[in-house]
Amino acid sequence: MRYYLMERWQPRRGRGRGRGSYSSSSQTQSNNFRPSNTSNHPTTRKPTPNHISSKINIKQDDNDLEDLPNLTGSCSYMCPVEERIQRERLRDLAIFERLNGNPSQSSSTLAVKKFCRTISTKDVRNVDLRPVLVLEDTLNHLLNVFGSKSQPFEVIHDFIFDRTRSIRQDLSMQGIVTGDQAIGIYERIVKFHIISQHKLQRNYVNSNPNVSPMHHLNMEQLTKTLSSLYHLYDQTRKPNPEFYSFYVLLHLGSDHQPTGESLSLWFRKLPFSVMKSKEMMFARRLLRYSRFGNYKQFLDTIDSEASGLQYYVLEPYVCDVRAFGLSCLNHGGYKLNPYPLVDVSKHLFMEESDVESFCKDCGLDTYTSEDGTKFMPAKQTSFCSPKGPRKYYPMVSERLKTLYDEAPEII
Amino acid sequence: MASYMSMGEAHRRITDYLNRFVDVISYQDGTSLKPLLSLSSESPSFLALADALNLFQDANRLIKQADKYSQYAEIVAPLFRAMQSYRVGHLVESYQAFEKSANAFIQEFRNWESAWALEALYVVVYEIRILAEKADRELASNGKTPEKLKAAGSFLMKVFGVLAGKGPKRVGALYVTCQLFKVYFKLGTVHLCRSVIRSIETARIFDFEEFPVRDKVTYMYYTGRLEVLNENFPAADHKLSYALKHCDPQSEANIRMILKYLVPVKLSIGILPKKALLEKYTLVEYSDIVLAMKRGDLRLLRHALEEHEDRFLRSGVYLVLEKLELQVYQRLVKKIYIIQKQKDPSKAHQIKLEMIVKALKWLEMEMDLDEVECIMSILIYKNLVKGYFAHKSKVAVLSKQDPFPKLNGKPINS
Repeated sequence: MRYYLMERWQPRRGRGRGRGSYSSSSQTQSNNFRPSNTSNHPTTRKPTPNHISSKINIKQDDNDLEDLPNLTGSCSYMCPVEERIQRERLRDLAIFERLNGNPSQSSSTLAVKKFCRTISTKDVRNVDLRPVLVLEDTLNHLLNVFGSKSQPFEVIHDFIFDRTRSIRQDLSMQGIVTGDQAIGIYERIVKFHIISQHKLQRNYVNSNPNVSPMHHLNMEQLTKTLSSLYHLYDQTRKPNPEFYSFYVLLHLGSDHQPTGESLSLWFRKLPFSVMKSKEMMFARRLLRYSRFGNYKQFLDTIDSEASGLQYYVLEPYVCDVRAFGLSCLNHGGYKLNPYPLVDVSKHLFMEESDVESFCKDCGLDTYTSEDGTKFMPAKQTSFCSPKGPRKYYPMVSERLKTLYDEAPEII
Repeated sequence: MASYMSMGEAHRRITDYLNRFVDVISYQDGTSLKPLLSLSSESPSFLALADALNLFQDANRLIKQADKYSQYAEIVAPLFRAMQSYRVGHLVESYQAFEKSANAFIQEFRNWESAWALEALYVVVYEIRILAEKADRELASNGKTPEKLKAAGSFLMKVFGVLAGKGPKRVGALYVTCQLFKVYFKLGTVHLCRSVIRSIETARIFDFEEFPVRDKVTYMYYTGRLEVLNENFPAADHKLSYALKHCDPQSEANIRMILKYLVPVKLSIGILPKKALLEKYTLVEYSDIVLAMKRGDLRLLRHALEEHEDRFLRSGVYLVLEKLELQVYQRLVKKIYIIQKQKDPSKAHQIKLEMIVKALKWLEMEMDLDEVECIMSILIYKNLVKGYFAHKSKVAVLSKQDPFPKLNGKPINS
């Protein structure tokens, strides 16, 4: 909603056209029937400048973007010189920014602008913002770091997470809503988030339980980046259907609505050509199978059609779907006909040994017969959804294996 | 533009309007005020007035001439500008001027104690929305970002605030709410409906039964549609059925609109409409779907979904209809059961998975035994089929009692 229209009814509070005054004034002056407005609209027409907050740190209305002065970045370095000098002085340099490991020395080829949470647009100057071409170079540099493996993954992820957020902040502060370069930047950042999500999940499972909060933050930024990207696609009419398919795949899982909006509503807005694209038809089919509960076709379709990135997005749901499948087999099976695990493994696209382990995760018993064949009895009453960190059982799929052997991290 | 009108005639038309305006307000004649505020109706008198204004060009002078006119200058002057712009097809300008006028009108409206001008307010509210839509079309056709409808939404929120008080004006709040729904649905910012709904449904000053029937029907229609989008079928059924029940039976277009959403909801809870109903209201897009459900014909369902895919996606019911597949499978298995029962009642409850594979093949759908086993397990899990399946012998064994439980108006548990 346009807060400045409300000004006709109420005296302006606080300072002039700065960000904070609008949100705070409308919230403090609401009479009982002025409906509250949530300004987290991922699907409005403007790119979501959620990272532009007032000093009071209230999330802003998307429309405020129109009120932004026309800022054009003129900083030709990855990090504005002033910021670099200040951070050198304060010894606030990430490990990747240190020259020869020196915690108080960086350089123009190493320092990258940090994301700034509390910034009011009144204080932003052109010299603080990087133009698109510089942002592209910055992203290239960051993605080199991403592939470097010089540090534990969480450290790398943290750094790239923050610095890419700053790139997006620079883009939206300049109101950049067109251009192939901007699209390319957002697309690569989406890929970063997806690949990171995959790696964070693996690490979480295998070792450090403290990594979990990163999931949610990473997922949050992934959806925000996607939302900005879709807005660009709207403006430029050059949609890349694979990136739309990610959105659908993120909404699998029964009541999972990371953006709070029903898929039916989202579909209404998409061009029909996007809806009929190969990647979207793939995602829609998975959606259909997931809603039906057809675990076999779900897994089968992933095996035969998923791209590497799509698989990364799907990974968490594969576990849910397998659990559901196991539950159906257990529930509907015949007590006198226990399942050979090898048959279950075909249904669930798992190695037989993994099936045994997975049954245990789901509270189900298995046994070995005299000739060494393993079985799962049906009609067990102890089934439960797997709890705690999800164990990762690879999908038995030659095709997917080649996909991620070949190019797991090309962004 | 009418060049046949003389200056004298133009002058007369404008002063006639001004006099009428003033009189109508002093007599608190709400019904007569309505046509004075409507542009989009394009009535002959409006068109003539607009022509007069464009010819005369200096209506402001006339307004200032007399105190009885100038007291309403803030309403009438921009209103005249809006009319002039509208007449020459400058719709963005027309909207902007009309909004100014409407703002001033609301200020006055607040001061009038009784609700005599409520119907006139409705006209203003309606015009705001319609003019905003036209303005946005103009912006879009000029390659600019449409933004007037969004502004109209904000304006309507203000009007809502004005009506939300203890006095008799409050019965107008539902009309404004419905206009807001239309704005939000058109913009796709449907989540904004939530806060208005909360105000209507939880505020103590509002008693839903007090509102006019027409507004209640519209309200239930839109809130019903929201429930469909969120797949809350019992709630959607309740609201859309209410709308249907209280809708003017003569208004076939409205009934059709309600049914468009009610039919998928009813289908989801296992209630099929009669063919005659679909024909009467030309809801042909659902005919094949209903047929597929009766026959257990999966291929027909998929075909019907594809044929009307764009339409179903636009109305937001595609996913709902897709999910009917479960019931179609149930029907298919039931048919096999019935056929077997006729052949040999004692063995009917045992269905070889092979039979189902064959039946699907006959429908041109290739599925292997594993897939059929998977589907049977799902149908059993979701209580669409009662029984179990023997993995080794590849046979589904149905319960002897009520093997195909009816949904009975409840959605399938997932």
